[in-house]
Amino acid sequence: MTPATPLLEVRGLTKRFGAQPALEDVSLAIAPGEVHAVAGENGAGKSTLMAILTGALTADEGALLWEGRPVSLPDVRAAQALGISMVHQEPQLVPSLGVAENICLGRLPHRLGAARLVDRTALRAAAQAALDTLRVGVPLSAAVREIGVAQRQLVAIARALHFGARLIILDEPTSSLSLDEVEALFATLRRLRGSGTALVYISHRLEELRAIADRVTVLRDGRVVATAPMTEMTQGALIAAMSGRELAADLQAGPPPPGTEPVLRVGGLSQSSRVHGVSLEVREGEVVGLAGLMGSGRSRTLRAIFGADRRDAGTVEVRTAGGWHPVRDVAGAIALGMGLVPEDRRALGLVLTASVLDNIGLRTPRGARRWGFLRARAIREVALAAMARLRIKARGVEAPVRTLSGGNQQKVVLGRWLDDTRVLLLDEPTRGVDVAAKAEIHRHLRTLAAAGMALVVASSEIPELLALCDRIAVMRLGRVVGELPRERATPAEILRLATGAGEAAAS
Amino acid sequence: MSETALPAPAAMRTAWWQRLAPLLGLFLLCLVLSLASPHFLTVDNLLNVLRQSTINAVLALGQLIVIITAGIDLSIGSVVGLTIVILTLMMRAGVPALPACLVVLAAGTAIGLVNGLLLTRLRLPHPFISTLGTLNVARGAALLLTNGVPISGLPPGFREATAGSVLGVPMPVVIAAGAYVATHVFLSRTVYGRDLYAIGGNREAARLCGIPVDRRLNLAYALSGAAAALAAIVLAARMNSGFPLAGTGAELDAIAAVIIGGASFFGGVGTVSGTLIGALIIGFLRNGLNLLDVSAFWQMIVIGVVIVVAVWIDVLRQRVGRAA
Repeated sequence: MTPATPLLEVRGLTKRFGAQPALEDVSLAIAPGEVHAVAGENGAGKSTLMAILTGALTADEGALLWEGRPVSLPDVRAAQALGISMVHQEPQLVPSLGVAENICLGRLPHRLGAARLVDRTALRAAAQAALDTLRVGVPLSAAVREIGVAQRQLVAIARALHFGARLIILDEPTSSLSLDEVEALFATLRRLRGSGTALVYISHRLEELRAIADRVTVLRDGRVVATAPMTEMTQGALIAAMSGRELAADLQAGPPPPGTEPVLRVGGLSQSSRVHGVSLEVREGEVVGLAGLMGSGRSRTLRAIFGADRRDAGTVEVRTAGGWHPVRDVAGAIALGMGLVPEDRRALGLVLTASVLDNIGLRTPRGARRWGFLRARAIREVALAAMARLRIKARGVEAPVRTLSGGNQQKVVLGRWLDDTRVLLLDEPTRGVDVAAKAEIHRHLRTLAAAGMALVVASSEIPELLALCDRIAVMRLGRVVGELPRERATPAEILRLATGAGEAAAS
Repeated sequence: MSETALPAPAAMRTAWWQRLAPLLGLFLLCLVLSLASPHFLTVDNLLNVLRQSTINAVLALGQLIVIITAGIDLSIGSVVGLTIVILTLMMRAGVPALPACLVVLAAGTAIGLVNGLLLTRLRLPHPFISTLGTLNVARGAALLLTNGVPISGLPPGFREATAGSVLGVPMPVVIAAGAYVATHVFLSRTVYGRDLYAIGGNREAARLCGIPVDRRLNLAYALSGAAAALAAIVLAARMNSGFPLAGTGAELDAIAAVIIGGASFFGGVGTVSGTLIGALIIGFLRNGLNLLDVSAFWQMIVIGVVIVVAVWIDVLRQRVGRAA
């Protein structure tokens, strides 16, 4: 490997949408066999840059050099022909087709000239070759909808390889993977790197960048604010570069002691093969975390507590001024002062066709309905109050919610539950949210808890749980396998319980 | 800061210019037609268009409610056929007009409710399928009840009451106007209307906010059936008979009116005013082409083109909106 000529060099790239520059004078170089991380908050220009590199957008100014030669990428096919492919956050596969077909999609080997019959032998051989390069085993004839998320990710990467990609852009590839799946993916990526393939890696998870990236380029407001070998960037420096300010202190703030009165009691909660006898008690003002690997039943448990999914056994009770009341369904849960911030805000949380106002008012605020009619003014007041309290950045309450950034959308979902809520269940409350918004949402959650609300937070990010929770319940295979008070909760201990590693494995 | 000059607190608003596009289309159409034919811009002709548009306009209201929930109701044309037969059979058997009309409204609502229950209880995968089923069942029942022969010989009182006029406005138009005002209030001011928009926009999000999704869907389809029965009453008055094939294909005109009026097939978007404009565009187009002596065959082609162009304009608008 001669470091002299980078595989891809970007010089002075500028892209404007209207008068608004999305990218300004961006330059970076990616060497063969390098994992180059691109970090930045939402709206920093990552997506625009990737769109230009993959030919989905063209730049207004600047040059692209492939192995030192200037190239232009008018469309996605041109970029693919050159050797640049992208693997999206949600791998773009056809669920009903087989793995082999998906890997070769768009260039299925065919025979008999104009009849274009699919050559199944060649198809399987080509797909197998791509998977062999990755040294992973995915059943070739399985339909993509039958395989797991992690394997879909591999199929998408294999497709890029089949297209002859020498530079693969990975956009948040781990957002729905479990910890061990992430490790396996990283091992595969390292092998790819070893064979000279360059990788551009985009992620919000800073720990991951540290684990996999050789170099990092940080974008902020469409400009490159830092580019350095990963080893020379401390976590603090990275956060400071991305956000333009110091945030570390926020995450360290200790919680005030919770109250003493229990408000939520879950006993022996079970749901088919997913959740087995989960019991939990949460006090006023207490923040309880649910940790666990992907598929450990965290989300299922939250949804079952809320009454969103059928339960097979167990009791869920909420205490009000009038004593303990059983929670049977969603409407009952809400009436008793329970709320849920679901895992995927776009799929489960928001009505994207509607405004901020209507999304906050979707959980009809108390006193906002009379004889079947909505009292618009009451809903409006609640929405304005939520916007002010959570500092939701939008043009106004009438703004369509789809125009908001991820962090602000998340705040809109949270904004429904500020009033009349005793117990708030949150599933991945900061997934896909930038670093600054994450810290802000954490602060709001602490404030809600300090005011007496009980919170149950399920998260795949251990640092998030450590920053928020008074107590962490660790789940494995649908069971709570341990509860750690804040003082005893360490990443190593949580992982030990979550993975089921024996006592001997404990450090 | 955003407290200035707020529009009516409709549940799910669209930008003013988005609503204006269909209105502009209607206006242009009228302008062209009044230049092309001297007979177009007369009080008699305009009232005539309104009268002819009422059936489709009323059916479109029900269809709008269902489309807002991201659904579709293919059965309404057949429901018109079945309810008109029930209505005329009852009146011929001596049942007074008013109770007969109430029974028919109940019957339409009940058939609509069945459509809803097929979806929410039997969990049929898509309302296209369930309502395609009731489309056939209702039409078959209408033909069975009549042996395929039109029912005539209605009491004179019925026609007088429903085909007359109030202050010069034809009775059917008054009925349709009432239905429009009521549906507008229902969709924009009530909890139910808001819930329907939310269900169409994101069913799961609506459910997790405590909205009783199944009950609301049942309501939406029941209302669509009621609208079809109301259209049948108006139609019976106009034709003074009950024809078992009445309303054949009417569901497609109703869907066209809703879509031309700016509603989204994906749910969550659509207004009563847009639907009215959509129904009027179709009505004026038919009327104008008749006045210009264009054959019925060409009319179909023109209306087909208008549907495609209207939706295409909508697609363009959304693209512009997204880039901004």
